[in-house]
Amino acid sequence: MMAPTPNTHGPSVDAEKENTAAAWGLSAAITVVFNVVLAFVKDSWPALNSVMASLTGHHWRTHALADVIVFVLLGSFFTARRIPGGKLTNGLAVTVGAATVIASLALGLWFLFV
Amino acid sequence: MPFKVVLLFLHPTFGVLGTLAAVWVFVEALNATDANQRRIWIASLTVAGLFILTCFFAGWFYTVYYHGGDQQIILKGPVPWAHSFFMETKEHLFFIPFILALYLPFVARLRLSANKPARLMVLVVSALIVLEGLALEGAGAIINWGAKTALAQTAQTMTSPANVEKKVR
Repeated sequence: MMAPTPNTHGPSVDAEKENTAAAWGLSAAITVVFNVVLAFVKDSWPALNSVMASLTGHHWRTHALADVIVFVLLGSFFTARRIPGGKLTNGLAVTVGAATVIASLALGLWFLFV
Repeated sequence: MPFKVVLLFLHPTFGVLGTLAAVWVFVEALNATDANQRRIWIASLTVAGLFILTCFFAGWFYTVYYHGGDQQIILKGPVPWAHSFFMETKEHLFFIPFILALYLPFVARLRLSANKPARLMVLVVSALIVLEGLALEGAGAIINWGAKTALAQTAQTMTSPANVEKKVR
């Protein structure tokens, strides 16, 4: 990752940085939701919890690795495919915010009531 | 001081520092100009680095020491929900600000003074890291209180006049 400088690299470098930021932003939003869905499935299906525990010695370590792998794979894939369109938008910022708030509330309600 | 205790103290320390660094990013982004662009990027890398350290030390303590110690104490105490709700939520909630912290440098390296959506993204992501970081610290305090309350109850039971009398006999 290159250090930021005022616009001296020309538009193509800036456009590439923005494409990367948009792609990894979408990846972050999806990973946040994936994290919570994995927590729900793991909590309601002990067999998955056991398999995850057997992979690294503890289900939490496997969960952490799964989140990071999903984040990196989706971020790389979206960057290569220029998804979601190569540009950051206010809508993407709202998507990341909404995904985070909804996922966090869902997690709290799950462990409160289930 | 036992190593386990050092480990226990390290993870909220890095967590608080990471949260403070996210406040730093938020404030710099509010006043983004070309002059503070490099500082914003350095602050965002600091957030990511501190959350990686938090994950490492929290994970080490949680997976190696927590289950056999604090969890058992809390579950036998008067507030078992300190584990069943707060710890269960905290152990999964942590990954959300962690992923956001890893993402922050990707967007903070853009020219925020000229790119409004990028500036909004930095503000949203850093604010969420701060709010979730505070929630995690609060949950940690409640879990700690759960263990302390359980130990206090045990100590009270052991030193109650009836029990002391039994032991003397």
